[in-house]
Amino acid sequence: MDLQESELLFINEAEELLEVMESCLLEVESEEAAIEEHIDAIFRAAHTIKGSAGLFGFDSIVAFTHSVESVLDKVRAASLGFDNELTDLMLECQQHMAQMIKALSDPKVLTDNEKGTRLLEQLDHYIHPDKSSAAAPEPVVEEAPTDPKFWRIQIDYGEDVFRDGMDPCSQLRFLENLGRLHQVRVAARFPETEFDPESCYLTLQLALESDATKTEIEGVFEFIQESSEVSIGSPKAMLDNILAYPEESDRIGEVLVNTGVVTERELQQALHTQKQSLQENKPTDTLGSMLVQKGVVDESMVDAALTKQKGQDHRKPADFQFLKVDARKLDQLIGLIGELVTSGATNELLISQVQNEKLDESFSQMVHLVEQIRDGALGLRMVQIGESFGRLKRIVRDVAKELDKDIQLDILGAETELDKSMVEKLSDPLMHIVRNAIDHGIEPQDIRLYKGKPAKGYLKLNAYHEAGAVVIEIVDDGAGLNAEKVRAKAVEKGLITAEQSLGKEDIYKLIFEPGFSTASAVTNLSGRGVGMDVVKRNIDELRGQISIESELDVGTTFRIRLPLTLAIIDGFEVSVGESHLVIPVNLIQECISFDASQMTKDRNYLNVRDEVLPFVKIREVLAIGGTRAEREHVVIVQFGNNRAGLVVDHLRGELQAVIKPLNEMFRSIRGIGGSTILGSGDIGFILDVPKLIELATHQESRRTHLTSVTSSKGEL
Amino acid sequence: MSKTILIVDDSISIRQVVGLALKGAGFDVIEGCDGKDALSKCDGRKIHLVISDVNMPNMDGITFVTELKKLPAYRFTPVIMLTTEGAADKMAAGKAAGAKAWVVKPFKAEQMLAAVEKLILP
Repeated sequence: MDLQESELLFINEAEELLEVMESCLLEVESEEAAIEEHIDAIFRAAHTIKGSAGLFGFDSIVAFTHSVESVLDKVRAASLGFDNELTDLMLECQQHMAQMIKALSDPKVLTDNEKGTRLLEQLDHYIHPDKSSAAAPEPVVEEAPTDPKFWRIQIDYGEDVFRDGMDPCSQLRFLENLGRLHQVRVAARFPETEFDPESCYLTLQLALESDATKTEIEGVFEFIQESSEVSIGSPKAMLDNILAYPEESDRIGEVLVNTGVVTERELQQALHTQKQSLQENKPTDTLGSMLVQKGVVDESMVDAALTKQKGQDHRKPADFQFLKVDARKLDQLIGLIGELVTSGATNELLISQVQNEKLDESFSQMVHLVEQIRDGALGLRMVQIGESFGRLKRIVRDVAKELDKDIQLDILGAETELDKSMVEKLSDPLMHIVRNAIDHGIEPQDIRLYKGKPAKGYLKLNAYHEAGAVVIEIVDDGAGLNAEKVRAKAVEKGLITAEQSLGKEDIYKLIFEPGFSTASAVTNLSGRGVGMDVVKRNIDELRGQISIESELDVGTTFRIRLPLTLAIIDGFEVSVGESHLVIPVNLIQECISFDASQMTKDRNYLNVRDEVLPFVKIREVLAIGGTRAEREHVVIVQFGNNRAGLVVDHLRGELQAVIKPLNEMFRSIRGIGGSTILGSGDIGFILDVPKLIELATHQESRRTHLTSVTSSKGEL
Repeated sequence: MSKTILIVDDSISIRQVVGLALKGAGFDVIEGCDGKDALSKCDGRKIHLVISDVNMPNMDGITFVTELKKLPAYRFTPVIMLTTEGAADKMAAGKAAGAKAWVVKPFKAEQMLAAVEKLILP
């Protein structure tokens, strides 16, 4: 029997199969049988014809039958319905296949190539329903022959290699088809105990001189790759490939694969390992060093590829990650969004009067979008505080060095975001506080040791969000503030009188008074009494608050609280008499009705669920005329750890308020932080909640003591 | 003595051409037209390699390999399975059954010979 005879055999077989296919299709068409009954036979006919045709090199039959088979496979997997249209197409295909088979044996029969192309296109619609035309065949790139090269191959055979029926010798023999084996070193990894004669313990090290590509060499070991470790070290000569590689790709893996230094499989394996260790939170190596460790590539090659990659980086700066925008443009945008919010409020008012449900619905959708735009735009101005914390790191280092103090600095919440303009205004106050903490707070080493503290001083910067505010803490474990000393100093400087009795916190606040300093020695850095008052002023400008917690010999905590946003807030509208007032929603805890009977006599305290709550009457604080409403309300607000009630006439509802700063002239008005334009066009005043809480809590002490700290400054 | 290869495929032309190529390279070849037929040929005689199709009537290739590996004489006999591209589930099942080598259809006789020579010497 010769090959020609085999070809005839194939032709006969294919014709038989095509007959089966035809009769099955016809039965399905005439509805004598269901497609489910025959699809297996039809599929197998196409499948077998394709398989056999490939063997004889009848590539056109393979290509055509492959498409037919793909469509049939879809039908078999029930992902494609078999309708009349498809039956017609399949019958046509069957006819075309028969013609192609016939053409093999009868030179008079000509294959209708045009018909074939048309049928293939039709089949392709079924294979790729979402693609309009057949994909272009992948171009075959002829590889240029390269110089002889030496490959270093190491094979660690898996124990199951013999059991799987693999014979290492046959692979070595096969390798000789690709080139010359110069060296074969056999090493064994026999176990110390329990030697299993059926297991393979071999390791082979080969030196192969070959012009073959790495993928070709890898192919020799394709059947043992799963059970064994095969590493193929690329020849040094391949370094030239990398050096000649154009700076096109931006990934090291791509550079290595495209130059043939690393095969696709090796890359995938390394990537897989990398991913795995990432998932297990193990420290990961770079892709390059992993490939070097596996013996796949030389370090010099990775370096060369990295250089290519860097060259790439150099040419394509990462300007798409960050965009520098003029701050004025941003402010303009935020200003416009403010106007949008205001005019939205006006529209809301008008729409509520029309009472059209559809209009209501579409408008509320728009309001929602405007809110998102607002938050997005304000978010653009937000920066992480980490940057200014970073600068403090340097200051801590320098100051500690100058004063010969050893300090450990911890930074927490560096990712906390706040308005860019705030970060700028904060850097000076923070610097002063930190300097003071190191200079006056943290003691010299000998004193620390004497006090039983660790010699190393501790300083912590902490930033976090808290209901509508950003809190920044500067904590040290130093000497703490000595309330008596501060008091004595304040009396000496004439800031308070000797008779005045003050709470601990009020005494601490004295250090923010201008011209105050407790350090007995004036150092280079601080202690001239300038600084802390500037700190307070800066924080005030940001509508923030600063408070001090301190314990003698334990440490001091400076806590700065800043309002989160500066431009637009979610507000809650209330009214007193004719005045419209806005309270930031995130500071509101609850609203209750004001019951005069809950009031402790002659004291501004309410009893709310057995808790005492100081309150202020907004009507009195802002000196709004008119008679009080029949039923007043209390809005309970909280800022930091302090709570207070604000007594108002009516509750109106939520709104978005664009904060317009008050004119310089009105800045001194206590309790008002800004203004906003309401939907109705009226002016609403934004209450300065922190100030009002302070006022409420201080009213009590004001009653007890004739003068309070703040009143001594003449502010109240 | 030359080595024996068992070819299992329902297509007679595949058996013929692969057989011819293998014989030309110096192997002895026996044929099976489906899994059941092939299993009956595995009667204890020495078979050095099995080449089997997956999709066959009567008994498919995966069942055949599973049964073959149960026979002590063929426990270590390497198996090349013939598969169509993209049949990942079939490959997994074949691997579980004990087939470690795969050749994707359609293939040329030389490709088959190369695969065989990676596994056994004539």
